[in-house]
Amino acid sequence: MNRCLAAESVAFAYEPGAPVLRDVAATVRGGAVAGIVGPNGSGKSTLLRLLCGLLEPGSGRVTLDGRPLASFRPRERARSLAFLPQGVQPVFLLSAFEVVCLGRYPHVGALAGPSSHDLEVARRCMRDTATDDIRHRSFMELSGGERQRVLLASILAQEPELLLLDEPTAALDIHHETEVFTLLARLAGDGYGVGVVTHDLNLAARFCDTMVLLSREHAVAACGAPEAVLREETLSAAYGARIRVGAHPFTGTPLVYAEPPEGAP
Amino acid sequence: MTRRVSAGHAVLAATALCVIVIAASLSIGPEPLGPLHLLRQWRAGESIEDAAYILFSLRLPRTLAAFLAGAGLALVGCAFQALLRNPLATPYTLGLAGAGSFGTYTALVLIDFGRLPYSVIGVPMVQAFAFLFAAADVLLIFLVASRRARPTPAVLLLTGVTLGIIANSGIMLTRYFARPERLIDMDRWLMGGVDIVGYRPVAVLAIGVVPACLWLLTQAGKLDQFGFSEEMAAGRGVNITRLQLTVLLLGSFITGVIVSEVGPIGFVGLVVPHTVRAFTGAGHRLLMPVSLLSGGAFLCLCDLAARKVPVAGEIPIGIITTLIGGPFFLYLLVRGRFADWET
Repeated sequence: MNRCLAAESVAFAYEPGAPVLRDVAATVRGGAVAGIVGPNGSGKSTLLRLLCGLLEPGSGRVTLDGRPLASFRPRERARSLAFLPQGVQPVFLLSAFEVVCLGRYPHVGALAGPSSHDLEVARRCMRDTATDDIRHRSFMELSGGERQRVLLASILAQEPELLLLDEPTAALDIHHETEVFTLLARLAGDGYGVGVVTHDLNLAARFCDTMVLLSREHAVAACGAPEAVLREETLSAAYGARIRVGAHPFTGTPLVYAEPPEGAP
Repeated sequence: MTRRVSAGHAVLAATALCVIVIAASLSIGPEPLGPLHLLRQWRAGESIEDAAYILFSLRLPRTLAAFLAGAGLALVGCAFQALLRNPLATPYTLGLAGAGSFGTYTALVLIDFGRLPYSVIGVPMVQAFAFLFAAADVLLIFLVASRRARPTPAVLLLTGVTLGIIANSGIMLTRYFARPERLIDMDRWLMGGVDIVGYRPVAVLAIGVVPACLWLLTQAGKLDQFGFSEEMAAGRGVNITRLQLTVLLLGSFITGVIVSEVGPIGFVGLVVPHTVRAFTGAGHRLLMPVSLLSGGAFLCLCDLAARKVPVAGEIPIGIITTLIGGPFFLYLLVRGRFADWET
């Protein structure tokens, strides 16, 4: 079944009078990568947390296949959608395999440990993310790219159908960020729905099927196919800066470039 | 990658340790007798009345009390370290032991001056005060934390440390008001002791500690998630606020009961979990039960040392645990790394 996670005209404020999102709509569908982009502080991460059900919208609603997300029991929700936050900092020393096994939580009883089936699922997810050969290594000793792939394996071990990721390529080099997005696109090809917050508009242009652009005013500036969203006037208004858009010389997808501020040397 | 022992071996080793230490604790004392000795005497047709009294009315309750107190303190240490995502979190650092002691002292002084009955409807006021003060400590920690948008573990820990310091000056204040002849007793209590007689304290400990410990053990899977990443834990369906409240309240209850019976015994909640973690790894489904057993054995062993150190009478057990725990703690700090911690 093709899952559909939708935020419908949601608004949110951490403190009264300081809205972080105003009347925002976004959709994450099975089989596609949906990019959430916008300037710093525009509410991208907050929108992702609303889609995960970790925050409740002040107004509007979030639904999963038409059913309000708030009506799901937390573990039931976690079996449909998985969330990968930014900057995961574990306090305990764990092997990569143990990290992936943690993803089985929504399927394991409160008292029982993981069964042999759970361990098999964890191994399969590690093979799918090419992390099987590093499964015995300590998680924090892995390189940034390896760590991100292990975290992806750990949310895949939840056996969700929708993946929501907050800047999964932050602090990765160009090779590893492309690797992560390639993996996300492949997962979407396998039927997963992917919602990803990113700052890298060029990667988003290359790998996302749809995009939502949030503006500095915490509203949707544009949404749709990357070519429709990544336009000079739209981006310049949303970021409050001079943004140029060309075409990628090799792929033909939009290529975004920010001009230095006026008067700069 | 650290080398670890299998789950079965860890539980087996901890259980064997408990059996050996408990047997030793029953057999060693001023009188050379133990369960085996008693059996031999009984089969020889000798009178075993005196020996049975020593064994069942003195040594057994004392051993059980030490075991229960050590098990509870070690388990609470485990749970607090994961909950506060900090290797230094213990019933002590959260101010629980201090608050419990402050409660005990307050009750003692009030009783001395006739302002408080010794017990109300059968509930001894000393224990009630110890628990109430410990619970107040936890509620204050939660109140301070909930004033902030996101109660971070660091805020919880700092609040606990601060409340512990306040409780200590509260203890000074009650000492200032106490009758001078009372001070010796009070200070002796503050050093911790399992030199109890009879089964009433054991019953209080068992009723207070065992169910709460079993409940705390059921939180193991959630603590694994929380220790890895608070946000991922929430995403996977862990109710973070409920987990924090459950563990803090159970921890304060267990600590309050233990402190009121045997005094504030330090460092058990620190030494035991860190040592056990080096063998079992950080998975709480194994770490918590093994810490529970090892904590019980550790305090029995400390009590044995307290009884056998060749000085007049015996040394308070709190001094022994601190003498072992303090240097161990310094060693952890010097080594710069806690076993199985990323810090």
